[in-house]
Amino acid sequence: MTEQLIIALAVLFVAAGLLSLVANQFGLSPIPFYILAGLLVGRFEFVTPGEVLTLAQWGIAFLVFVFGIRLDFSNVQSVLRDAEVAASIQLLTVGPVAFAIGYAFGDLFGFEEPLRNALYFSAAVVLSSSLVGGQVLRREIQDNLVHGRLASSIHFFDDLVAIAVLLVITADAFTADAITSQLGYGVLFLAVGLLFYRHGFPILVRLADGDGELVLVGSISILVAFLAAAEYVGLSIVVGAFAAGIAIREDGTNALDVRNGIDSIADFFGAIFFVTIGALVSVPSPEVAIMAAVLAGLVFILNPLVHTLAFVYEGYDARTAFLASSSLNQVSEFSLIIAIQALLLGTIADALFEAIILAAVVTMALTPAARRWKDRVFQVVISRLLGGQRSRKVDERSEVDADLDDHVIILGYGRQGRRLVERLEAVDRSYVVIENDPILWDDLRANCRNYVLGDAMSEYPWKKAGVDRASLVVSTVDQREISETILALEADADLLLRSASTDEAEVLLDAGATYVTVTNVVAGKELVEIVEAIFDGGTPPSALKAEHLKTLEAIERDGFDTRYSRY
Amino acid sequence: MSEIALAADFAIIVVVATAVGLLARQTGQPTIIAYILTGIILGPVAFDIVTDEGLVDLMAELGFAFLLFLLGLKMRFKDIQEILRPVTNVAFGQTVLQTALAFLVAWALGFDTTEILVIALATVFGATPIIVKILTDKDEITSMPGKIDVGGLIVQDIYLVVVLALFAADDLGGAADIATTLGVILVMISFIGIFSLASSRYVLPKLFRRVADNKEVFLIVAIAWAFLFVAIAEGADLSAKVGAFLAGISLAQLPYSKELEDRITPITNFFILVFFATIGLQIDGLNALLAYWWQAIVASIILMVGNFWIMFYLIDREGFSVETSFLGSINMIQVSEFSLIVGALALDQGLIESDVLGYLSLMALFTMRVSTYVIAYNHTIYAKLEPWFRRFESEGDKSDALSQYRNHAIAIGYDEITERALPNLEARYGEVVVIDRRTDHIDEIEREGRYSSVFGDFRHTEVRKEANLKGADFVLSSSVEREVNEALLSEVADDATVFVEADRIDDARALYDLGADYVIMSTHLTAEKLATYVELHATDRAAFEGAIAGDIAEILARQRRSRDRFGGHAAIDGHGGDGDD
Repeated sequence: MTEQLIIALAVLFVAAGLLSLVANQFGLSPIPFYILAGLLVGRFEFVTPGEVLTLAQWGIAFLVFVFGIRLDFSNVQSVLRDAEVAASIQLLTVGPVAFAIGYAFGDLFGFEEPLRNALYFSAAVVLSSSLVGGQVLRREIQDNLVHGRLASSIHFFDDLVAIAVLLVITADAFTADAITSQLGYGVLFLAVGLLFYRHGFPILVRLADGDGELVLVGSISILVAFLAAAEYVGLSIVVGAFAAGIAIREDGTNALDVRNGIDSIADFFGAIFFVTIGALVSVPSPEVAIMAAVLAGLVFILNPLVHTLAFVYEGYDARTAFLASSSLNQVSEFSLIIAIQALLLGTIADALFEAIILAAVVTMALTPAARRWKDRVFQVVISRLLGGQRSRKVDERSEVDADLDDHVIILGYGRQGRRLVERLEAVDRSYVVIENDPILWDDLRANCRNYVLGDAMSEYPWKKAGVDRASLVVSTVDQREISETILALEADADLLLRSASTDEAEVLLDAGATYVTVTNVVAGKELVEIVEAIFDGGTPPSALKAEHLKTLEAIERDGFDTRYSRY
Repeated sequence: MSEIALAADFAIIVVVATAVGLLARQTGQPTIIAYILTGIILGPVAFDIVTDEGLVDLMAELGFAFLLFLLGLKMRFKDIQEILRPVTNVAFGQTVLQTALAFLVAWALGFDTTEILVIALATVFGATPIIVKILTDKDEITSMPGKIDVGGLIVQDIYLVVVLALFAADDLGGAADIATTLGVILVMISFIGIFSLASSRYVLPKLFRRVADNKEVFLIVAIAWAFLFVAIAEGADLSAKVGAFLAGISLAQLPYSKELEDRITPITNFFILVFFATIGLQIDGLNALLAYWWQAIVASIILMVGNFWIMFYLIDREGFSVETSFLGSINMIQVSEFSLIVGALALDQGLIESDVLGYLSLMALFTMRVSTYVIAYNHTIYAKLEPWFRRFESEGDKSDALSQYRNHAIAIGYDEITERALPNLEARYGEVVVIDRRTDHIDEIEREGRYSSVFGDFRHTEVRKEANLKGADFVLSSSVEREVNEALLSEVADDATVFVEADRIDDARALYDLGADYVIMSTHLTAEKLATYVELHATDRAAFEGAIAGDIAEILARQRRSRDRFGGHAAIDGHGGDGDD
């Protein structure tokens, strides 16, 4: 028996390994390829005996557990503030549409519980995947670009919605009583998780006395305990796993070890989950194909469209709105979890289950591909759609003195931008700031004489800022597309651009930039100077430290170290 | 709805093991002892609420396979190359002499023939995971005694793999059967071994060079590789573990294995816990556990003392110093969990009864407890006994110095910031080790051949150990991630100079508080510089042009340098090396 199980796991992992090689070759997320691996090996029945299905459920538990662990409470509020409007708009417009379509399908194909199935369908449409979308935008999120930040906020919001949905669907009946008691339990679990975070986990760490392995095993025990409790009161294991994740603290001496350990185990079980879910799909029947196609269509086209409009409504420029939305067009891994939970409960129609999995594979695999076409789509669709409105919006939100001449244009109002504004005001030189993050609008109004709130990739904000009369343009943004846009303006002004590498700097200098700052070169130079100063014995490190701390204080007093600014 | 936690035996095992483990930790015992005790508590000996069937058995199997995979991963030929000869002599002699001793002891205690054979084969092994773990914790794994022990353990592990394969084979009737089976096993192992080594030479470097940059794919492909070998081994009627071990060896020779080791370890720890618990579960009852209690104590004492002297004689004969011989021997006195593994297999095959497994378990529990303390205090014990052991000193004992990084400089992340400072560090500290998580950066460093390099994410313990962070005099981190820099500052020697990078003022201040000597803040530096240039542009155009000319010359010079070096374009890009997830 055990031997067969090992062979089953071997088949599963070798297939997953091979297809993840393919994914890696094209720089795609491995997740749709795991599911695809499952589709391929699923025809051999020995691959998915009951035990493997149980392991797959542990995969779900670990995925959600990790999500719970990563949750940073200090950040939740500001993240939700970014996302709440757009995500709610999308939820309230796309949700009902998808629900209606789902209900129509249920009616058409004669599902047993059309209401529940309609709910599953709409959940699959509305939610987007943080694992896949987050991977696509990894660099942008890391660099804290506006659209990366927006997209990851929406992902986060969606994941929370998914957990709430899971809480509701595990109710025995769709009555107010049953749902209220589920929600009550959910809140109770979170409270216990938080309590443990405060008081229980530190005790564990103290008892483990520096042994990372024990903290790791202890963390898994916490997961087990919460899962068992969730099962005991009839909640979804996802809620238990989420609460358990919240109970884990990520600080202290073993934090790195424990985090690495849980990540490894989660990757292992997660792969089993994704392959298994693919293996549960048989050759699609026509009705499955139709539903999958409609679902994929809604997710792939309607979702980004509504998101884009919602972001624009909120005040973001069209490009940022579009770029953020273009990573929100795939079925969420949480939708897969909802689907498999519903399958285990026996409340989802088989055809719908298969349709959701297929749509997930297609949309997850297409997201990165779609990103490559983003500029084309933007030009052809979005620019036309919102063209006239764009310059009007820029006018509304900008403040530029019409007589400006021989002024400096500063692109980006982050830390560098603020420093520049301060310095220019000190020498009494006129300037215009261009910024695309509406969150900084209040700051701009309060601190800058002239500013333009708009997208530096389109021409109008530059015109508005009077680029043809400016004597200097300073960019604090190291995005290559932006630098190229500035060069393409063919202004007479001197151009101080910024790039992330000397490679790119050389190209930009060749293309006509007056000067290019490369942060790493500046820092490297400073580093060498300091190292030399210490090695020659001239300056003791303690003196450097004291001096630097004093500088930091001065900078902080000027108050330009905010969460939103990267540049 | 099927229940996964309430109904699962292994969930109970994990929770109880945690509790027992935390208790054991208070008395300084290794976790393995706690896991075996967990099995004894939950099994027929005490409460009898868990059985080793279904998932528990699968996880135990997986744990064992992963343990051998991990063991294979640690087998880097180049690590033991310099002392290969003496170590082979020691390990070979040790295996023969200790098997003989164990055989004699078992015979004297009156076991029957098959049992004697199993016990003798089982009790010869040193507990690789325990010894390696304790020595690593004490930072002695790279010392000379540590290397000798690890080398000896590796030879034993190969021996173990053969023994395991032998036990896993069905029908071991007479001597001829054993000889044939052994022959078949050796041929099979050689075939798979050749395949594994050939692929480690020709296929894997290319394959893993591509995937190593993506952490998740890297792990899954490695696990897939292990499972591929498991399947092949199963197909060839060999034990699955043999396959896992050979898969590990082929990956160990890659430059990326350090990080992989650290990623596989937690998965192994998780499953191996279940495995050790199942050993306790297999003992039929208190009677079986205690059937041979006094024999277990007598045998333990004889074997501990005997094994020490065997090792001491063998190491001393190779001409190592008395201290090295003493420490190398005293670290190796326990009966390992592998004896339980061999025992469990033999029980499975019906070669022994569960009371013999109880005997082996008692011995393992007993010797492991003693040896944990012995290893922990090995230097103190030596200091007490040194005058007496002096008599073994002889002329011309080998120097015990080993090549490893010491008083060196470490750079975390190879980018335009660190790259500039490396020549200064080299001039000052002689040796510079670069840690980076990107294969192209590592390739570049290797091609240049001027600095040493370690591939891997700094977050991983193994990676930090490989670069010997604790022995470094200067550490330069170009990671802006606070957790990475905090881990760095808590681990370096107190007198080391540490430069780190930070993005936020809060982070910088926290890092200074933790003892950083300088915090580089590139964004603020650039802001300052840019502000100066812009001001110059407005007030003194000539000065502005002079200043930027210098900087532009610098950028172009850098580009020329890297073109000269590589004949192509500059390969380093601007983003920091590690932390790409």
